[in-house]
Amino acid sequence: MAGKWQLKDHEAERAMFSRRLVVAAVFVLLLFAALIMKLVNLQVSQYDYFSARSDGNRLHSQYVPPARGLIFDNRGKLLADNQPIFNLTIVREQVEDLEITLDYLDTLIDLSDDEREQFANRLRRNRVPFSSVPLRYVLSDAEKSRVAVNSYKLPGVAIEPQFVRQYPLADLTAHSVGYVSEINRAELDSLDDEERENYGGTNHIGKTGVERTYEDLLHGTVGYEIVEKNNRGQVMRRLDRTDPIAGKNISLYLDSQLQIAAEEALGDFRGAVVAIDPNTGGILAMVSKPGFDPNLFVTGISSKNYGVLVTDNINTPLFDRSTNPYPPGSTVKPFLGLGGLHHELVDYEFTIEDPGYFRLPGVSYRWGDYTLRTAIGGGHGHTDLQKAIYQSCDTFFYDLGNRMGIDTMHGFMSQFGFGQNFAVDINYARTGVLPSRDWKRATRGEPWYPGDTINSSIGQGYMWATPLQLATAASIMANKGKVIQPRMLKAVDGVPYEPVINDPVADVVVNDPDYWRYIEESMSMVVHRAYNDVFREYGTAYEAIAMADREMPYKMAGKSGSAQVVGISQEIMQSEDINVSDLNKDHALFISYAPAENPSIKPQIAIAVFVENGEHGSSVAGPIAKAVTDAYLLDILQIDFAALNSGGDELLSLVDE
Amino acid sequence: MNSQDFIRQSDGLDSKTRYHKSIWRTIHTDPPLLVGISLLCGFGLLVLFSASGGDVPVVQRQALTMVVGLVVMFIVAQFNVHFFRQWAPTLYAAGLGLLALVLVAGVEANGAKSWLDLPGLPSFQPSELMKFVVPMLMAWYLASRPLPPRFKHLFWSAVMILVPAGLIIVQNDTGTAIMVTMSGIFVILLAGIRWRIVIAGFIALLLASPAWYIFLAQEHQKNRILTFWDPYRDPTGAGYNIIQSQIAIGSGGIYGKGYGEGAQSHLDFIPESNTDFILAVLAEEFGLLGILFLILMYLFVLIRGSYIAYAANDMFSRLLAGSITLTFFFYVFVNMAMVSGLLPVIGLPLPLMSRGGTSVVTLFIGFGLLMSIQTHGRSKSI
Repeated sequence: MAGKWQLKDHEAERAMFSRRLVVAAVFVLLLFAALIMKLVNLQVSQYDYFSARSDGNRLHSQYVPPARGLIFDNRGKLLADNQPIFNLTIVREQVEDLEITLDYLDTLIDLSDDEREQFANRLRRNRVPFSSVPLRYVLSDAEKSRVAVNSYKLPGVAIEPQFVRQYPLADLTAHSVGYVSEINRAELDSLDDEERENYGGTNHIGKTGVERTYEDLLHGTVGYEIVEKNNRGQVMRRLDRTDPIAGKNISLYLDSQLQIAAEEALGDFRGAVVAIDPNTGGILAMVSKPGFDPNLFVTGISSKNYGVLVTDNINTPLFDRSTNPYPPGSTVKPFLGLGGLHHELVDYEFTIEDPGYFRLPGVSYRWGDYTLRTAIGGGHGHTDLQKAIYQSCDTFFYDLGNRMGIDTMHGFMSQFGFGQNFAVDINYARTGVLPSRDWKRATRGEPWYPGDTINSSIGQGYMWATPLQLATAASIMANKGKVIQPRMLKAVDGVPYEPVINDPVADVVVNDPDYWRYIEESMSMVVHRAYNDVFREYGTAYEAIAMADREMPYKMAGKSGSAQVVGISQEIMQSEDINVSDLNKDHALFISYAPAENPSIKPQIAIAVFVENGEHGSSVAGPIAKAVTDAYLLDILQIDFAALNSGGDELLSLVDE
Repeated sequence: MNSQDFIRQSDGLDSKTRYHKSIWRTIHTDPPLLVGISLLCGFGLLVLFSASGGDVPVVQRQALTMVVGLVVMFIVAQFNVHFFRQWAPTLYAAGLGLLALVLVAGVEANGAKSWLDLPGLPSFQPSELMKFVVPMLMAWYLASRPLPPRFKHLFWSAVMILVPAGLIIVQNDTGTAIMVTMSGIFVILLAGIRWRIVIAGFIALLLASPAWYIFLAQEHQKNRILTFWDPYRDPTGAGYNIIQSQIAIGSGGIYGKGYGEGAQSHLDFIPESNTDFILAVLAEEFGLLGILFLILMYLFVLIRGSYIAYAANDMFSRLLAGSITLTFFFYVFVNMAMVSGLLPVIGLPLPLMSRGGTSVVTLFIGFGLLMSIQTHGRSKSI
């Protein structure tokens, strides 16, 4: 060891150490230089990129959905409201294992398989990353607190308040007002880019009825806000906000009281009632029964509930009877009669001798009088147009229709909206069929036969019309030919709304305006002409309407009808729990307007009533029309007919003096 | 070597004119080093205040740790460095004993079973002690051998390094094991090991690394390396830290977003923003200029440390001071390189900036040794 000590050259070692220190210093500087180059690269060269990434990390633009416009009836009663609910939502990106999270939530709020499936569907939909997707709409208070207490175990799960549609009248407005429901893929795809942007924060869209027709007015304009979020997605600050513009509040002509009255008047029947104010074209009531609870659809209807609705083949609650066509039956007779007068095929003096059937020249087939088929044989006998209307004589109209021909019939009837949709804002309403040679050739590939005309002249055969069309035709009759197209929307944000009608319908003009009076008189007789000694000289609806209410303070012009049931599906025929014979019964129809034949007041309401399997137009559908008319004229408008009439007298007495 | 001569001469003048009368020399404190350390500590506390989101207790605790560190440094500086030279083998043996004790009675924290909780003492990590005990022993061993070291001396040096490093790896604390190894290797490098051996060792390491990767590396280590090559292979998992850290640094730009305005850190996008990744916070809020300022301060401390090593009177002091200084640099560089994506993520704090307890005190022990070397034994040169 001692030798080694002597071998140590301290100066040399010191110099060597110093050299090593210099080498180390060079390394240190080189490494720092590399580090600084890396930092310059990050902070100078890539500054823009990382700056944007940093903003992208923290800044999130989110949509602020607009409040949907409210829907009011014509007297300010809410038909569609917005109610706050609490939703359970999930941000997929923040959930580590979705299955585990859902299983855990199941222990808290009992998730059904159905809900899981719907949630999976919503996830699959096109959506903004890190957006919250609803799992369950409407949490009860208990569920809310259970989730809140365990929220620390549920990252990405949140309880979010939301305003959703609520329909106070539920079933009553299911078809007319319609409902909103979750936007689906197809609807999103049908939007253009700008619209899709506008629906960025919206979960719901109008699916049916007014909600769909006026979606643009009701929806409003989406707002935006830019928020700063931390790494857990919590919003820390709001940096910028563009407020959404709420949808417009709209008022309809619909009167909820009348809607209720119409629904009650239908009783246990399936059917439809449409009531129109002839002076404005406003639809006062539009009921299809049975309805369904549209509130179920708003927050996503369960497949069980939906199954109940769609498998009910008899009641078909989802089917809107008010805008779907049926054979109109005898309700077309006043219009055809008017056409006969106008085209001078009949006049006030013209009569036929009705044997109870009609036979085309040279054809042995006999068209029977349906009105009489249950009565004792024989015909109506000596019959003019007026009697043909109030007694609903088929033979008279077979003859008239035959002489009129299908072309003239089609031309005249179409002025009343048959075969067309006159409604301004019910574009989903069906047009029914007003047959013509062209129509038959186009749809059936067959020529028109004279016998087709005979069937059409009593509203059977190929002729189909919706209750809405019948009410429209009745309102044109009430207006003595002036056409005011039916409409739902009355005002937007309180400002009266006048629709832009590009292709307005021309008024119905007849050769002699007295024809209107004559037909009104005939229709009034349907309701008011009492029994007399002569066989079958009363109005068909007299017994059920005017005789049933001898105190009736106004006159009503009406026409009953019945239509044969066209076809019943095998499925229904084979089901055991239904009385099939009931389903074979005729559909009952009635059209009316009132007050009629009153010099002091114009008609205020035109009505079409359709009763499925109601059998008798006059005795089943008639009283329903009467009840709705009563509700409107006496309860809602509260017209004091006694005062009106005596007022007229006073006026007359003044003139006398 | 002109400059060297000049420095030596002026130093000689200094020792006559300044040190003999200086109060600093009496209390064994080196003013430049103290200034550098204090500046770093102050800056560190400032950044920590922002990084912790204005958490005053955290900053207070860190300040207290630093004060404790300064006191420890002061106490260590009072001992003549030859005292440590004499005791180096004993300390080393005691350190090994403690490491062995950890294996038996250690306490686990943060995945590493490296803590010792002895009755009557605050809990501490014996592995931390080895960070300066190993270079001390190496310096003791090599300083008394002819330099450059012979091969057999290198062999025993390697044994002296690898035994404690191995014990620390067994504790599952790879970061500390690397630091301990490096502090020993620095001594060997400074002791003048032949370059060809260094190069041969380096090549051997390069050749061995694939074998290590394939056969020895653990899954999380492989992951770190893969993530280093491509952080975006798992951007929300393994790559998340480094991606967010780079976003923070890059978005800081030249001038930074301003103190307390770092969105990445204040919105919790930077994980470990108080500890290993505190540089990202600094870079985001103070920009490139802030980092350059920090590097300058570190350089100041490094230059002073190098000077102390250079000016030391004996080889033990030189090797020890050089190793402490280079180890300090190694800390600084590895942390900065890892946070900026130049190196794979290794769990090492940024000296005097990151929040932490034991490792801060270890640092100050190192500084205390430097001060001791600078202020003792000028007259006792051998």
